[in-house]
Amino acid sequence: MRRAWMGAAALALAVLAGCKVAEPGGFERGVVTTAKHRIFVGNKDQKNPLPSTPQTLADGKEAFSHYCVACHGLDGQNTGVPFAGHISPPIPSLASADVQQYTDGQLKWILDNGISPSGMPASKGILSDDELWSIVEYIRHLPQAGSLGEPEMYTH
Amino acid sequence: MRRKGLVFAVLAGLFAAALLPAAGAYAQAAPKRIEVAAKRYTFEPGEITLKKGEPVVLVIKSTDVAHGIRFRELNVEVNVHAGATGEVQFTPQKTGDFVGHCSVFCGMGHGSMTLKLHVVE
Repeated sequence: MRRAWMGAAALALAVLAGCKVAEPGGFERGVVTTAKHRIFVGNKDQKNPLPSTPQTLADGKEAFSHYCVACHGLDGQNTGVPFAGHISPPIPSLASADVQQYTDGQLKWILDNGISPSGMPASKGILSDDELWSIVEYIRHLPQAGSLGEPEMYTH
Repeated sequence: MRRKGLVFAVLAGLFAAALLPAAGAYAQAAPKRIEVAAKRYTFEPGEITLKKGEPVVLVIKSTDVAHGIRFRELNVEVNVHAGATGEVQFTPQKTGDFVGHCSVFCGMGHGSMTLKLHVVE
């Protein structure tokens, strides 16, 4: 059933957007956002097993800074990422309501499985479960936009 | 003169006897060293058995890039630079199986790079 929904959504996207990279329209964005939150992204009820402590937050920041910065910036808000707004769909700010409305379990699901057909990759096995949960904690406590500067890879 | 020599010998004997237990205790407390090679994306050996209450020094030798090991439940962590060696001393205080993960992002298989500790009585 889930596969059928995904197929229908992909077809709808292809019809609406074609191959050319373009900013999604309001209708497309609304449909996809609703579909992700309500249908595709599972694991809604799982709680973060790690304690919400400064150590977990520091662990999350550390793991994020190695793996996620290329697309999300050090602050999770795309600071310094040159292509963030030029792919389709654009890379969302992780501080946005759209992202923050996911439950912790859903954020972990997205980290594990990625989101197709966006550019978000699946990270299960690349990062440990502990690291992924600590990243969820970091996403919940992102620093002020721009406060950490730009990723080193884009500054030289 | 002979008496002085005798007293000196007795005192020296007492002094040595007092030191012996301390030396023995020191020898007992010397932690066991366990060397583990770390390379993308395995630890070798991958499993280690330790005794509860016995101090141990875990020596991590990287043979390629930077790695680390972290046992969250035991509060044990050490990071090593590429090609370098690092060590951490600890005394396991509880029995069970504990899985440590590489604590320095090292590539595609980083998340599955684990070292298992069996702590027994």
